[in-house]
Amino acid sequence: MSTVIVGLFDGVETAARAGRALQGLSLPAGSVTTISAVPLPEGAVVTDPEPIRFPKIVIAGWFVGAAAGLGLTLATYMLYPLVTGGKTIVSVPPTLIITYEVAMLGAVLATLFGSGREMGLLRFPPKAIHDPRIHDGKIALCARVEGDEQARRTIEAMREAGGTEVRAEEGEL
Amino acid sequence: MNHTWAMAIDLDRCTGCGACVVACNAENNIPVIGEAEAGKNRLMHWIRVNRYWEGEYPEAQAVYLPIPCMQCERAPCELVCPVYATYHNEDGLNAMVYNRCIGTRYCANNCPYSVRVFNWYDYKWEKPLDEQLSPDLTVRSRGVMEKCTFCIQRIRRAKETAAEEGREIRDGEVVPACVQTCPPGAMLFGDLADPHSEITRKLKDPRRFRLMEHLGTEPRVVYLKRQKGAGR
Amino acid sequence: MSAEAPRADDHHLAKTDETAMFERLSRSNLVTTWKWYLGVGVAGAVLLWGLIVFLYMAMVGMGVTGYNKPVFWGLYEASLVFWIGLSHSGTLISAILRLTHATWRAPVLRGAEAMTAFTLMVGGLIPIVHLGRNWRVYYALPYPSSRELWPNMRSPLMWDAMAITTYLIGSLTFLYVGMIPDLALLRDKSAGGRRKFYSALSLGFRGTHAQWRRYHVASTLFAILIIPIAVSVHSIVSWDFAMAKVPGWHSTIFAPYFVVGAIFSGIAGVVIVMAILRKAFRLESVLTPLHFDNLGKLLCTMTLLWGYFYFTEFLTVWYNRNPEEWEVFSSYAGPYLPLFLTMIVCNFVIPFPMLCLKRVRRSISLILVPAISIVIGMYAERLLIVIPSLARRNDPFIWANYFPTWVEFSVMAGAAAMFVLLYMLFAKFFPIMAISDIKERLFHTADRTIGGTTVESIAQVEGEEEAHA
Repeated sequence: MSTVIVGLFDGVETAARAGRALQGLSLPAGSVTTISAVPLPEGAVVTDPEPIRFPKIVIAGWFVGAAAGLGLTLATYMLYPLVTGGKTIVSVPPTLIITYEVAMLGAVLATLFGSGREMGLLRFPPKAIHDPRIHDGKIALCARVEGDEQARRTIEAMREAGGTEVRAEEGEL
Repeated sequence: MNHTWAMAIDLDRCTGCGACVVACNAENNIPVIGEAEAGKNRLMHWIRVNRYWEGEYPEAQAVYLPIPCMQCERAPCELVCPVYATYHNEDGLNAMVYNRCIGTRYCANNCPYSVRVFNWYDYKWEKPLDEQLSPDLTVRSRGVMEKCTFCIQRIRRAKETAAEEGREIRDGEVVPACVQTCPPGAMLFGDLADPHSEITRKLKDPRRFRLMEHLGTEPRVVYLKRQKGAGR
Repeated sequence: MSAEAPRADDHHLAKTDETAMFERLSRSNLVTTWKWYLGVGVAGAVLLWGLIVFLYMAMVGMGVTGYNKPVFWGLYEASLVFWIGLSHSGTLISAILRLTHATWRAPVLRGAEAMTAFTLMVGGLIPIVHLGRNWRVYYALPYPSSRELWPNMRSPLMWDAMAITTYLIGSLTFLYVGMIPDLALLRDKSAGGRRKFYSALSLGFRGTHAQWRRYHVASTLFAILIIPIAVSVHSIVSWDFAMAKVPGWHSTIFAPYFVVGAIFSGIAGVVIVMAILRKAFRLESVLTPLHFDNLGKLLCTMTLLWGYFYFTEFLTVWYNRNPEEWEVFSSYAGPYLPLFLTMIVCNFVIPFPMLCLKRVRRSISLILVPAISIVIGMYAERLLIVIPSLARRNDPFIWANYFPTWVEFSVMAGAAAMFVLLYMLFAKFFPIMAISDIKERLFHTADRTIGGTTVESIAQVEGEEEAHA
């Protein structure tokens, strides 16, 4: 739980002006973010220094799925080895098909859970900063600050840049 | 000892009488479905007698072809069953497991000889006809595929008797219902693994052919071609 | 630092009244008319009837259908292929349009993705319907049971099971993740019980910069993943037929042919659904003639592709006159002539000339003609693949014709009603328009003056670069 200064801005340009002003205040990277109804291009108002990690989980998920599919097929062949149609007990082409399908399923689920976790979904942090007015065209600029001095200067910078309803809130960024 | 059961059908002798069909129905608890259902092409015969016409009147000739299950070595029906309800057993027979069948009917679609039959209803045997049912095999419920088994119940019975008596199955001991009944003796059944059996000798006949061999199913039912000579 | 006057926001979103737009686009959520209740009632009634008839069939036996020997597969299996084919609508439109950054995609996305999910649900139930012993369908599931028996993975039906499961989970995930920002919007705009509902579903999405970046990557990844899954699903469905020793089925062209046919019928389905949504929820401002024009162009391409594949197959068989296959094709001139003519006329003769005309593509009522014609024609094509090959197969002695009975028609009508019902319920409780994507498009669009004229200019915001840590 930290102090976050939230300011509402009428559009991208005013928000960007405030973002530039906040850069001058040397707040640590990753402590300033926007909340908006549409995705803003990287660097338009703020930058996100954290690298996106979950695609690696997707690749891992693909391989886990492939292993599961392969295991499933081989197990079903060998646990009850019945001759069908003169084919070998371990038939290769069906194995490839099932392995592929379960691999893709693994990748899809890995994307779902990996991206969800990295987006911070399903955690419902208490007091996550949010402003429903972003759906009326506003952009909320949020800056996490330490100490009263930083807070005061941040509020001033935002107000100067044209922010309305600049306030300090206790919450998660 | 593993057997290689096979059947030989001599088309020279087949008169198309259909006794094999009746015998099979009696032996294997096959229902009589009635005229209406037969008109909808739902006959339940495990062996059927195909009739083809050759030539035009007045020289028209009927050609009869009894078709039981071919018990293919490379049975296309076995491959496509999603639940292993049909598989190839050690005797080289295409075994059908009624309890496992969920009725996708893919095996029936994949049989080029169309020997597989489906239970469209729960067929009833009104009293006293239920007393004719053979206790050696089941009465199948609706939704289940069935087909000719080379009278596997008779094969099993012979195996048990031979095992009790501590000997091998003798040639001619196992006789499916159709083979047993055929009046002109057109059908022969035996073990190809036995080099001295009658069927091994019979299948050296140059008249031999198998149905739809180009499909690569390697059937175990071998036909002997009809001779065409004077007066035929 | 001196205060520079900020530039004014010149993008189209700044000029939009977002609250009014939200109310316009969410009309399906906010307003319930008697027509909706009527539609749901009728669909529910037909579904109930289909369910009752299905139970009757399950209890009495498949004999109440028109199936026989040798036509062991008929209306149910053709419908299965048809519904799975329709499910390629949303995936391919949504995924491909996303990946190629097609600027017109936003209003079409949600409706198409929803169509995929629900047609797939219907199609996924049909394998249970067509079984002789439906109550034992779990025998086909790969799980360790006391029976110690596992399913046969060599069977194309098992490939079907795995593929459809994967595709269903994939497309539901694709649909759901695509909806998360819109669900967050609905959460913020609603109160009480509705707010709790959307709160839970939006999983706490707020729209922070970090979230949007990752969301964009996730959407792209889903789009990349779902396309090969979709292609594999219909290829596998086609292999139910291509793997068989049935003349007319055993053809190597089936996999690509079915995929093309699926995309074809899918796009036609999307056109129809979009036209209905536009009328029902007064979305004329978002679903413009431009969208139908573009969908129409896609549809025209697919008509040609379908015609190409069909002609190729026909030519191969005609030229070779392989007796087994030729008997099947000859039956198209016999008892199956009505089906064959329906297919050719409805899939090619009507749609192709019409879709070539811009006037047709830009008119909603006119483009519905080829779209509906294609859906009918593709249904006829599925029937034509399944039935004549079985009716005229290897042994002429057992040839037989097939016609469905009231049982099969009822159950399939119930299936169609299930799709309609699911879709109507979805449109009622979930955002049927991808509001966030529409807003994003408006955000990227600005007017640009070139010489003496002013044109719309749409920014291409390229994919997310990794932040420089």
